[in-house]
Amino acid sequence: MKEFAVFWGCTIQTRFPFIEKSTRIVLESFKLPYRDIDGFTCCPEKSLVNNIDHGAFVVTAARNVALVDELDYDLVSPCTGCVSNLATVKGELKANPREKAEVNKLLKEVGREFKGTSKLQHLVPFFHDTVGVHAIKQKIKKDFSGMRIGIHYGCHMIRPSHALRNDDPLEPKKFDTLISALGAQSLQFMTKMMCCGQGLDRIDEHDRALHFARIKLKELKSLGCDAMVLCCPSCFLQFDNNQFLMEKEGEKFGIPVIYFTELLGLAMGYKPEELGMDLHRVDCTPFVKKWEALSTRPPREDAIEDGLNAPVDL
Amino acid sequence: MLEATLNFKLLEQCSKCGACFSICPSCMHIPGYDPRAVIQDILDGNHDKWLSSRHIWQCLECHHCLEICYQHYGFENAMTALRTIAAKKGIHPTQVKRGWEMFVKTSRLGEPALPARKKLGLPEPKASGAEEFKKLFALLKAAREKQENPEGKGSE
Repeated sequence: MKEFAVFWGCTIQTRFPFIEKSTRIVLESFKLPYRDIDGFTCCPEKSLVNNIDHGAFVVTAARNVALVDELDYDLVSPCTGCVSNLATVKGELKANPREKAEVNKLLKEVGREFKGTSKLQHLVPFFHDTVGVHAIKQKIKKDFSGMRIGIHYGCHMIRPSHALRNDDPLEPKKFDTLISALGAQSLQFMTKMMCCGQGLDRIDEHDRALHFARIKLKELKSLGCDAMVLCCPSCFLQFDNNQFLMEKEGEKFGIPVIYFTELLGLAMGYKPEELGMDLHRVDCTPFVKKWEALSTRPPREDAIEDGLNAPVDL
Repeated sequence: MLEATLNFKLLEQCSKCGACFSICPSCMHIPGYDPRAVIQDILDGNHDKWLSSRHIWQCLECHHCLEICYQHYGFENAMTALRTIAAKKGIHPTQVKRGWEMFVKTSRLGEPALPARKKLGLPEPKASGAEEFKKLFALLKAAREKQENPEGKGSE
């Protein structure tokens, strides 16, 4: 496997270092050739930077990609936004040689060159395509049989598809495949592909952001979902933090929000605290307790056998 | 140089289609949000009236419209163009302003949480590319100025 740099992004390192923790734990456990490299900046975040200055968006992303190009590494990120933004610019520059030349003229003055040779992947498709379901299954100590999981893909894991090219952009399957490989049931639900709506919090529309979170959480609650699983810090903020804020005001959902790396870590035998799950705003204990209770149940054959072998009392 | 653009030919088609309206989360959940009206106004030369509207910022950039669009274009491009014009006029949301200022100043949207990292046993964060980024950003600005004013008139 080719060496790859991890692009942590601003949100994880600023707000959720425990996501970095669980990501490092699973990367180490799989003995994957990941590297930390100097020189990254913000990816940059599209809704802030691209809306104000497209040129700044392009040169910043191109410079970040140039850093991995130079080292001949690939890039993997546990943040959907980062990968999507970097890949969007990579795609734009590859399709537009004139623009690429303009960008490289600027980059040359700081000693860089954008080539666009490195593969840019989000962690979930990376685990699906590069690590593989088979290797993941071999690492599982205790699976999630009997647990009902609502996956939230996160728009930018799979879109824009022309830049990311990793799954069906409207009916993706890879995250589902990974969750099924861990033994859990991936629920199919109406709002599964709905955007989290966290962007509304960034334009001073907090109540509307809560409204978007509420729609999905309500449906998951009605379906008896044990946890929402996702792999995007922005979506995590929306469903963990904003759910917590709504619960404080008396709206009860009780849907733990679990990062993909945390779920994987649990299956591999790590404790919730080792993975930093005690740092979530919404308590993950009900999920862990139910999971533990299920795994201490006697084998299903035994219960049937007991019934069949019971003394006749007619 | 490296400015956002808008393709009117593709937008003409958008005004006759509207497939995106059925899949856009903001269309579904925000009353009055209807980019078909925005596109029509852009085509009629009346984009100005949307510059101070909340709606142009309520596009979540989820790219659903792009994926369902048979031109693979999507009205998000129209919204991005309007947001860019609005931001240049200074009529953008406070948090967007703040975020942009922090980005330009530090090259990031926040600094690594050091005490929490230590507690979690995480390694020292790697050096950021802030200095090089600042240089690059200045180069971009200079290149644009040069393009607008090739003779160097009016500048030093």
